[in-house]
Amino acid sequence: MNPLNIELGLGVLGLLLLLAEPFLSSSRKVLAYVAIAGLLVALLTLITSGGSMSVPATMQEFYIADALALFYKGVAIISTLAVIIISLEYAPVLNKFVAGDNARGKEAGLGEFVSLPLFVCVGMMVMASAKDLITIFVSLELVTVSFYVLVSFMRRSAMSLEAGVKYLILGALSTGLLVYGMAWVYGLTGQMSLDGIQKALVNWKGDNTPLLFGAALVLAGLGFKVAAVPFQIWVPDVYQGAPTPITAFLSVGSKAAGFAVLTRVVETFTAKGSVIGDQVIQLLLILAGATILVGNLSAIAQTNFKRLLGYSSIAHAGYLLLALACVHQHSLAIAPRNIVAFYLATYLPMTFLCFLVLSAAKAQGVGEDLKSLKGLGHKSPLLGLALTIALASLAGLPLTAGFMGKMFVIFAATYESNYLCLALAIIGAATGFYYYFKVILTIYSTPEVETEKIRLSVLSKVMLGVFVAAIIVIGVYPDAIQHVLVAAVK
Amino acid sequence: MITLNHYLFVSGILFAIGLTGVVARRNILTIYMCLEMMLSAANLTLVAFSRFHLTDGLPDYNAQALVFFTITVAAAEVAVGLAIIVALYRTKHSVDVGAVDNLKG
Repeated sequence: MNPLNIELGLGVLGLLLLLAEPFLSSSRKVLAYVAIAGLLVALLTLITSGGSMSVPATMQEFYIADALALFYKGVAIISTLAVIIISLEYAPVLNKFVAGDNARGKEAGLGEFVSLPLFVCVGMMVMASAKDLITIFVSLELVTVSFYVLVSFMRRSAMSLEAGVKYLILGALSTGLLVYGMAWVYGLTGQMSLDGIQKALVNWKGDNTPLLFGAALVLAGLGFKVAAVPFQIWVPDVYQGAPTPITAFLSVGSKAAGFAVLTRVVETFTAKGSVIGDQVIQLLLILAGATILVGNLSAIAQTNFKRLLGYSSIAHAGYLLLALACVHQHSLAIAPRNIVAFYLATYLPMTFLCFLVLSAAKAQGVGEDLKSLKGLGHKSPLLGLALTIALASLAGLPLTAGFMGKMFVIFAATYESNYLCLALAIIGAATGFYYYFKVILTIYSTPEVETEKIRLSVLSKVMLGVFVAAIIVIGVYPDAIQHVLVAAVK
Repeated sequence: MITLNHYLFVSGILFAIGLTGVVARRNILTIYMCLEMMLSAANLTLVAFSRFHLTDGLPDYNAQALVFFTITVAAAEVAVGLAIIVALYRTKHSVDVGAVDNLKG
């Protein structure tokens, strides 16, 4: 089966939903349920026919369907599913800030808010498979341009618009850097495909400064997408201002797809014998160290939960970059690309859990400040417990998924003898325990004022259960994910 | 005789002007124009490399394909971007970067 069929199917579904929306007489929530059904079918197709995917010869030059690509496609579909479920919880807030006063009753905006994530999903799935500069660029832009709209979706909210403008300018800036870098890499190597570029880099004769210039620009452009320091300045503001489901999407989906591309690009640049390999690794290590440090240290002082998760997202990007830079280690049975994929798989459930609780809370009138979460553990014990598990996993408590991810990164850095980065990673992890557990303490403290209990829909409860189970299962038995990754390599 | 280096020099200057404008300007629309200039610089670089990278006497058309994609994507970006800036103007009555400084910390 041609793997592109799934992407095309989801894209067509998105268009159909967009067309159906104006003619719909019943509740707009139907659109969301159709999208969820479509995504479930896509996920099922991916799982059942994953092994028998074959790319037609005409596409092999720019499209690859290896295990890693299929894994990231799965991550893209699951995060889109989660986003749509979360947006159902968040619908009242969306309606308030999208519709005018006379159109409040009509669930305005929910239709577009369902179909745009589908387009993002298509972009992310193609990114997972892209191995050609043109494909990388076009799929990345499909994701980015859709995100411009989604971030500034609540057009009557000044915060959302501000976040949208900031994301727009810095996103367009990163596009500029990326394309200019690509132009140089192409111009010097004469190749558009990553395989061709790799060959040219190995056989390069002469000065490698211009190559390094192009590679650095490409890495800077991708660094914006995955929120690496010093390209992280947009993250806290955009995370805070964007609609909560979209913040979750940016934090997981966009980051995972960015790392899928980054993995392939870095592997090309640092291939055995590449003339710029050592410098690129140095650059990555510097980025990783700075990202871990800045992300974790800035998170300490935050009082807004969404903003705190933004900084935590930067910190996690640092660990991922560190794993990516450990290309030499052969003592560990798991390759850097698989460590990154594993880490992202563990990052997905814990982040979505936090944002699900935040969305439900916001829709039911609770603020996003840390102090408004006070007493959540007493009012809704199950919700509090789920949030506690997610936060403990983000911190990296043993027996949760987050611990296994961090452990692989730290082992890889040890085998690679990157002691400075190792020290920074451990300082970062220790800091993480402080600020994540501060939130847990808040959840179980006694509130000053009584607030309503937070209720969840059945769909959200299912999602909550699945993700909590995933965190515990991966934490206790990490082979579950590794099997998927290793099987794909064979 | 105009060589590859001339083109690269011009596109480099264009890129530098664009980047400076993005960093230094205060008006969001001007910043946006500077961003487009950076994309044009990339396009010029691509076309120049393509023209001077001959195979069998023909330019390498892969790069020119990327140029067309860049132009299309830039158009899409402008469409969405201007819509967002218009929405911003409606709420804030200003397109100065000073109008978007509520989120910080």
